[in-house]
Amino acid sequence: MAEITFHGVTKVFAGNVTAVDNLDLHVADGEFMVLVGPSGCGKTTALRMLAGLEEISAGTLSIGGRVVNHVLPKDRDVAMVFQNYALYPHMTVAQNMGFALKIRGESKAEVERKVREAAAILRLGEYLDRRPRALSGGQRQRVAMGRAIVRSPQAFLMDEPLSNLDAQLRVEMRVEIARIQRLLGVATVYVTHDQIEAMTMGDRVAVMRGGQLQQVAPPQVLYDHPANEFVAGFMGSPPMNLVRARTSPSRGGVGLAVGDQRLDVPGAYGASHDLPREEGAEVVLGVRPEDIDVVGSDVSGPTLKTRVERREALGAEILVHLSVADAGAASSVAYDEDVAVSRPTMLVARMAPQARVEVGDVLMVRLNEERLHFFDGTRGVTLRRGGA
Amino acid sequence: MSLDTPPVAPEVPADRRARARRVGRGALFLVMIGVAVVMLYPFWVMIVDSLKSENQFLSGHGFSWASWRTLTSTIPIAQEVVSSTIICAVSILLILLVGLPAGFAFAKLRFRASGVIFLAIVSAMMVPLQAILMPEFVNITRLGLTGGYTGAVLVYAALGTPFSVFLFATYFRGVPDELIEAGIVDGLGYVGALWRLVVPIAIPAIATVTVLQFIQIWDDLLVGLLFIQNTSERPITVGLAVLAAGRTTSIPALMAGSLVSALPAMIVYLIFQRYLVKGLTMGIDR
Amino acid sequence: MTGTTVGARAPRLTLRRRRQLAGALFALPAVALVAGLIAVPIGQAIYYSFTQWDGLTSTWIGPSTWTQAFHNPNLWTALENNAWLLLAVPFALGLPLLIAMLLHQRVIGWKIFRSIYFLPTAISWVVLGLVAERFFAFQGTLNSLLHFFGLTHVNTNMLGYESTALSALGITFVFTMIGTNTMLFLTGLATLDTSLEEAARIDGAGRWRIFRHITLPHLSRFIQLAFVMTVIALFSALFSLIFVMTGGGPGYATTTMEFLIYQTGFAQGDFGTAALYGLILFVLTAIVGIVQLRLIGSDE
Repeated sequence: MAEITFHGVTKVFAGNVTAVDNLDLHVADGEFMVLVGPSGCGKTTALRMLAGLEEISAGTLSIGGRVVNHVLPKDRDVAMVFQNYALYPHMTVAQNMGFALKIRGESKAEVERKVREAAAILRLGEYLDRRPRALSGGQRQRVAMGRAIVRSPQAFLMDEPLSNLDAQLRVEMRVEIARIQRLLGVATVYVTHDQIEAMTMGDRVAVMRGGQLQQVAPPQVLYDHPANEFVAGFMGSPPMNLVRARTSPSRGGVGLAVGDQRLDVPGAYGASHDLPREEGAEVVLGVRPEDIDVVGSDVSGPTLKTRVERREALGAEILVHLSVADAGAASSVAYDEDVAVSRPTMLVARMAPQARVEVGDVLMVRLNEERLHFFDGTRGVTLRRGGA
Repeated sequence: MSLDTPPVAPEVPADRRARARRVGRGALFLVMIGVAVVMLYPFWVMIVDSLKSENQFLSGHGFSWASWRTLTSTIPIAQEVVSSTIICAVSILLILLVGLPAGFAFAKLRFRASGVIFLAIVSAMMVPLQAILMPEFVNITRLGLTGGYTGAVLVYAALGTPFSVFLFATYFRGVPDELIEAGIVDGLGYVGALWRLVVPIAIPAIATVTVLQFIQIWDDLLVGLLFIQNTSERPITVGLAVLAAGRTTSIPALMAGSLVSALPAMIVYLIFQRYLVKGLTMGIDR
Repeated sequence: MTGTTVGARAPRLTLRRRRQLAGALFALPAVALVAGLIAVPIGQAIYYSFTQWDGLTSTWIGPSTWTQAFHNPNLWTALENNAWLLLAVPFALGLPLLIAMLLHQRVIGWKIFRSIYFLPTAISWVVLGLVAERFFAFQGTLNSLLHFFGLTHVNTNMLGYESTALSALGITFVFTMIGTNTMLFLTGLATLDTSLEEAARIDGAGRWRIFRHITLPHLSRFIQLAFVMTVIALFSALFSLIFVMTGGGPGYATTTMEFLIYQTGFAQGDFGTAALYGLILFVLTAIVGIVQLRLIGSDE
């Protein structure tokens, strides 16, 4: 067991494609670190460098205080769980799990004991003599886990291990993997593109995009205090509403112009935020769907007049799609993965199922001023005082 | 669950259509039997003609075991079968030993110019032995390899290698990279990955190469004819062809010998038919 | 924090270099074998084609060997024979296609029929040649058949006459190719998505239309492959048949390029000319081979 440190780690592929750009990341001993981001963000490459399957172009990578840049995979003492499990088809479950130990030269009895132990943890006992072909998807996944566990390695590396499972099993295994990791207390780097996995499994989550680390923080911190527009838009489902706005004078000091409406922002100069003082500066306003409430027309604070465009009943809640401003003009939603800004101005609000809302209704909504986010209009970084 | 309304009458009564179908099927069956007769004709000839003495063959009447009883004195059949077996076994072993690592290398361990080299090897599949027969013969003779089986084995191996490399490379391309990587992370080197992961997975491809090459080499004439100097080391196909070309050996004996020579390849073929088909269509079958 | 531990120093071989080295080493035996026994002899053949060569000593006599060779009527006869034999190719493809279609109907026992149809594939062409000789002989099956059908005055020995020997060889060749090509086409048919046929039938297409517009286009890759394999076999695999059936005769009636090479080299001891003929055969097959490579190439 050991800690893992990426220090300025960079990977440049042939053709000058930078897959990972100057990555600094520390994974504490026993920590469950989730690397999350859209496909092509460099998370898998980072993991493969850690495994030793990909060479490091620059920077240093250390496991347990030992720099491993040029250490061969087999000498790194890490175990990897692959997306497609990569089980050896010609070996039984027990042989699959014991293979690394056998190569290492451990005695037959020792291998068998460790395999039995791991199998017990994973509830695979009765399948030890089967071949992968004869297992279900979930069982194969567990064998892949078992192969990692028996080695009692310094670190577990997991590359989207749940993405080949169906939805229900995925939920189950999410809990299972987290349980096992906590039980064994081995530092784990877990790569996924699924923000729910990231939120639910990680001690801390590292969000990556375009080869660059965006933010590392515990899941709730990431959710409540995203470092930038990208993180804000990536974490949470449905994602945070991101609305283009301009600063404009208002009764409360400074407000925002959203479409042709004016939004008072009393908390704009509170403890954490720092909106630009000049008029007409471009900012992006972020508000989570659960922070939008329907109110009467006489309420003060950040309110907007909206029209209900669409209504999605999900059972436990309703998602209401609202168009802002000149509430008659048709507006289309374009969700741009890269910029994560919906335009022209649409908002998604999460409401209780009993809320009486119909398409075409004109609603006054109030944004929870305590939980507003502001991002720089050009750079996308969170506008906050003193970089807190 | 019966309905009161009668079913709508089809344009052609159902029983007539069914009958037409049955007749069609019957005709088809007869045609297939006809084709079967044609395809079985060689076996029929071999069996019938071998069950005659030379006189019975010339007169066209009667059957006897005469040619079978004297077969071993007419043709050194046992020794020829042994030769054929040795040549096949060693050649195939060599083809596998050389083809498996190469197929793995071209599919998974890309090195400099590996694409071009692969293409060159695959192109060699198209070179007929006759095109290089003279230099080949002189080279092998000068190296003194026509004395035993070595020369023939080498030539068979060289001729079989391009196809086996192609087939193995195609097969290994279908193996996920992660499987090899899992082995590497588990502590294997590339040699270990080859013998402990790749080869066990490749059993079907190995079977395909083995079966195809066995039939190819067992049935071949030219290489055995030219690259094995000693008549006492001749494989069976060469033995038969030389006797036949000499036109002094009795036909019933030749047919008996042919039957013996055809048997091993037929048995291999009937057991491993599946792999044969797979090998033939490798690369375009999906 | 650099340079203090073992892992920080670049080892002699990085993983990537290791992989490349392993790849090169793994490929080496195959490359050596193919280079030594196939590529080098091609080079030698080019050299020797410009020499007077009896297998022991060679004297350079330049391009005159080529002009001489092209004035040799035997070469032209052989090439002509090869060209005539090309007429067998449509049959060697068409009959198997038909048989494959029959098998694909899956009547009772089709699997047994399939095994029977493929069985001759396992037999040496030496043996098939022997049998074919029996078929075409005076007391052979062909004459019996002709007599059975009332053609009692006919008494042929197709292998005995210059005018018919090549046809007999061609017929035997077609027979020997049936198994392999049927196998190919049947595999092709098996990969045909039956829902396509069903959709066409619902759209009102008749049998011929389905065959013409669905089955045949689907089979085109398999037909191409079979074509190339058949032509290459025609150029380079007839040796066994000719050796036991006709010995190239009567006269030069069944001497094809490959047999001419063997005769020139080993019967006449003219290694130089034989090497030269080999090169001509090489060029002929190379043309077919390029087609084949494009076929494989278009696949990837």
